Amino acid sequence: MTTDDYFGHMFQEFPENSEWDAVIIGAGPNGLMAAAYLAKAGLKVALIERRYEIGGGLATEEILYPCYSSNPHVIYHMMVDYMPVIKDFNLDGASLLWIKPNAQTAMVFEDGKSLLLTQMIEDTKDSISKFSFKDAVNFGKVMRSWRRIVDEIVAPATYVPTMTPIEMSMALQKTKVGQEMLELIEQSPLEIINHTFENDRVRALMLYASCMWGLDPRETGIGFFVPLLLDRGMNKCYCYGGSHKFASAMGRELVKAGGLILEHAEVNKIIVQNGRAAGVELAEGRTLRSKVVMSTLDPHTTFLDLVGAQHLDKDFKALIDGWKYDKWSFYTLHVASEEPPRYKCDDPWVNDAFMTIFGIESTEQLLAHWDNVVAGKIGANFGGHATCETLHDPHLSDKPGKHTSFFQMHAPYEIPGGWEKKGKEMEEAILAKWQKVAPNMKRENIIMTVHETPVDIETRFPNMRRGGIKHGDYKPIQLGSFRPNQECSSTRTPVEGLYVCGASTYPGGLVLGGPGYLGANKVAEDLGVKKWWKTTPEMERYIKTYLT
Amino acid sequence: MSRDERYDVVIVGGGPNGMATAAYLAKCGLSVCVLEERVECGGACETVEPIPGVRIYPHAMLMYAAPAPGFEQLELHKYGFRMAWNPVDMMKSLTAGNTTTQGVSPITEKDAMGFAKLGGLLGQPPFTQELMRATFWCPPHPSEVEVTDENTPYIQVYKKYQPDVCTPELREWTMFELMDEFLESEPFKVTMAFAAWASGAAGHWEGVAIPALLSVQLLILPNTGKLSIPRGGLHGYFHAIHRCAVAHGTVVRTACPVDEIIVQDGRAMGVRLRETAAIGGRKIWANKAVIAAVDYKQTFLKMIGREHLDPSFIQKVKDISLKNGTLYVTTYHTRKPIQWNQRYKAMQESETGVSGPAKVASGGVYPSDSRELYYENVADCDARKSLPTLPPEKLMWFLTPSQAFNPTDCQGQYRNGYISAAFEVNVPVPEYQIEGIDAQDKEKVKLDDYMRKAFSQALDGLDEENIIHCWSATGREVEFRNTGLIGGTWCGSRHCRDQSWTRRPIPELARYRTPIEGLYTCHQTTGHPGGLCLMAIPYNLMHILIEDGIAEPGKWWYPSPYYIPQKAKVSAIPR
Repeated sequence: MTTDDYFGHMFQEFPENSEWDAVIIGAGPNGLMAAAYLAKAGLKVALIERRYEIGGGLATEEILYPCYSSNPHVIYHMMVDYMPVIKDFNLDGASLLWIKPNAQTAMVFEDGKSLLLTQMIEDTKDSISKFSFKDAVNFGKVMRSWRRIVDEIVAPATYVPTMTPIEMSMALQKTKVGQEMLELIEQSPLEIINHTFENDRVRALMLYASCMWGLDPRETGIGFFVPLLLDRGMNKCYCYGGSHKFASAMGRELVKAGGLILEHAEVNKIIVQNGRAAGVELAEGRTLRSKVVMSTLDPHTTFLDLVGAQHLDKDFKALIDGWKYDKWSFYTLHVASEEPPRYKCDDPWVNDAFMTIFGIESTEQLLAHWDNVVAGKIGANFGGHATCETLHDPHLSDKPGKHTSFFQMHAPYEIPGGWEKKGKEMEEAILAKWQKVAPNMKRENIIMTVHETPVDIETRFPNMRRGGIKHGDYKPIQLGSFRPNQECSSTRTPVEGLYVCGASTYPGGLVLGGPGYLGANKVAEDLGVKKWWKTTPEMERYIKTYLT
Repeated sequence: MSRDERYDVVIVGGGPNGMATAAYLAKCGLSVCVLEERVECGGACETVEPIPGVRIYPHAMLMYAAPAPGFEQLELHKYGFRMAWNPVDMMKSLTAGNTTTQGVSPITEKDAMGFAKLGGLLGQPPFTQELMRATFWCPPHPSEVEVTDENTPYIQVYKKYQPDVCTPELREWTMFELMDEFLESEPFKVTMAFAAWASGAAGHWEGVAIPALLSVQLLILPNTGKLSIPRGGLHGYFHAIHRCAVAHGTVVRTACPVDEIIVQDGRAMGVRLRETAAIGGRKIWANKAVIAAVDYKQTFLKMIGREHLDPSFIQKVKDISLKNGTLYVTTYHTRKPIQWNQRYKAMQESETGVSGPAKVASGGVYPSDSRELYYENVADCDARKSLPTLPPEKLMWFLTPSQAFNPTDCQGQYRNGYISAAFEVNVPVPEYQIEGIDAQDKEKVKLDDYMRKAFSQALDGLDEENIIHCWSATGREVEFRNTGLIGGTWCGSRHCRDQSWTRRPIPELARYRTPIEGLYTCHQTTGHPGGLCLMAIPYNLMHILIEDGIAEPGKWWYPSPYYIPQKAKVSAIPR
């Protein structure tokens, strides 16, 4: 006799089989947005998450256990000024508070000199003028034009369906700003920076800020990222209470609108019937059938692991096989400390900065470091950026008055000797480098450290394959209408009823809020659901100027 | 314009009690706001991932709440509630026995039958759910009602189904006395007594025999005899409660610590947030009630101005005893799995049928030789209040059942080593610690080493070579993380007779009302039945909020059959 014979279950569980309008795989920022928009439009929506918590990269977790939390992935929110989801769901104010420090990105050098990129242009110009008056003047001049490129074109285009490169260049010809952008696109980041600035340290800061999220500095055809990442790099926001708060806020909007969230639910299979996506099967055995399935995962996982090659035609499968993951990943050292790092340098504002770059003394060194990383190495010439999170958010330390910071650097997925060994060595090397510029970062000040390698990133988020935070490299043939390929960049896919709307779909990763928004729009159109949201004025202006 | 907000009910604390209360009240149609000081709600129902792929559960790990009316009343299945069922049958694992210094002591037929009888299994049909609900899911009787054998809920259930349990002394007994009557093997009794001590009601306390024993049985019997966990751990269970609350309109604000409960003319009007709170406004007003789902110390000694409470009440609050010890929890990350050593192979083998790579040691109390040994451990912790003075081979510890049975859990999947189940040791509450409040923090390295020696008495794999990392937290660290777990105590105040049922934690607070009008308590330290994330306090509190005209539930509501309405109040029994 088993105990089951003694008593039945005392409570009801979520059913083995259920029916939905839309099932969305992955509760990262894009999955949450897509689900919330569609649920509020009246669809019956289920959002499925493999982890025990929603948010994906919008994570705030106690990785320095016990007592110290960190934002192990997203911390710098660059599109808060434009993301439609914030206005559409009225998240600003009570639900979410954004901290946008004026001192945005500092770069400190071993000789005690420093540079500061600020939200307000004149402060940056003042800082640059310590090195080159001419560069300060040029910075003011180019930012005037670059900000218009961002504000009028790149930012609103993030939330509008993509165009082919030919359509794009024809559209951009229509205005002077567009023509300026076209000129930039054809150049590499390095060319643009070298052309604009003369001082090497100024160049190093600008190059780092432009390429830090995974651009090849020498690649042509991606030049429009320079204005975007510099301008947005001067407008980074911190989500007060931790990045996860953004995810929680969207999750609650979804639930409020009647949507379901299932955590700790791994999808085994996307059910395809008569060539159409018809739902998902979970590893735990449950089945959720649905009219549409939206995947926010990387192309390999979505099409090869979950749909299965048997449902794909040969050419399409070749496109998926050809998808390239990010050229580099990150190594991060998290530190709990008695005091925040105090940088010894010529500008007191550096100690208030949101991000502080150190270890980079010249453009030559920076390029050599990146070349190393691409070649699978880390040399003594590495550098990276640090943030003291508790300076902006006391909630991250459960012990009053203590601090959490991290240092993050570019790193290859594979490293000679393996990450288990290299990970520990890097801790010492980083702390030695940190102490050179911030003398109080010595062992007596440090309570605890934890490091995370590119392999760890993949372990936490398996679709950040090879530690790639954007689910796939940024290069011309994987951007715009080619992200992830021409058949899927609209979020529709060759499998009817299956949509893709994660970081590997246009416009890409870094919590732009683009793919999820575009996916929700497309599904609403295809299912004939009335949209309750309106395009923003910036988007309307852009559409009117360039798309009509 | 003021950015302050106004709701019918403001709940301070987003743990399982606060959130389940929010769900109940929002379902009644009230506007509800929950304020949580941490960046994530959940309180003790939490999961952390300190290293990618490694999930640990710092507090609540196992499912005690199965008989709760809340599953049905709040319809948690609609909000994604699912279990991960352990394939191992309780009867099989029980037969493995109890671990003593001499080896595994078998469980006899009399032990098993006595255990089953007291747990309500031998009735036709079994009356486990009714018994558990009577014991935990019923508000304490009003103060004007004398508590007798005729109105003590669990006694009524035994009378109905198993009258031979009802001895005249039942309400007076210690758990040991009860077990001496119905069980046989000393190690089995000691194991139960120690598990109860760790669950909040010890084996040697007067007059709490049945609640103490049933608190252990809650773990197993209602879960169809299996030590099973919700998917995603207790945080997954919490998510279902949270989403039910939100779906019914509850507004949840994280990173919003409350500094003050605003009292005017003896009435709670709302709360004032700390200046760092992540919200625009600084005051949240309550039309009908403020509910303190935080511990009694924060509520009465910090958040309410002294001028609103009288000194005799303050003295009683200060005297509430936390002496059910602090659970010092350790989890190991190892290269090879930690397993029972040769002498305890029977324990290891009891988990037959468990698949997955991580066959780590699972579940047990060691050493369970005799109650003398148990008393020695109690004396060290509760009497001497010292850092351990017992030699490590005498230290009693509790190894929770491993979660590795679940192939979809990290612990069953992890490839870079093994994650142990959690080890728990009772240590003094830091503020009672004779060597000073920070003694455990200062001696943490030594304490960890001492405990490792103690665990090594029966387990292999705790050598330094094999350990990659060890996560542990002292009582103070627990309290820093989770303010409501005062002193690192798991169930808050002691569940002794003087602090339970109609006297929990003091008679003035037993019915969740407070000396401040419009202020109610809803926390394991402040109300019956206490901890274990049962959704019991919210359910019990509902009776009181109905009595006070605050909550008016729909047809989905049913009160406890043993509830006694207070005179001159609205009855919580639907007409």
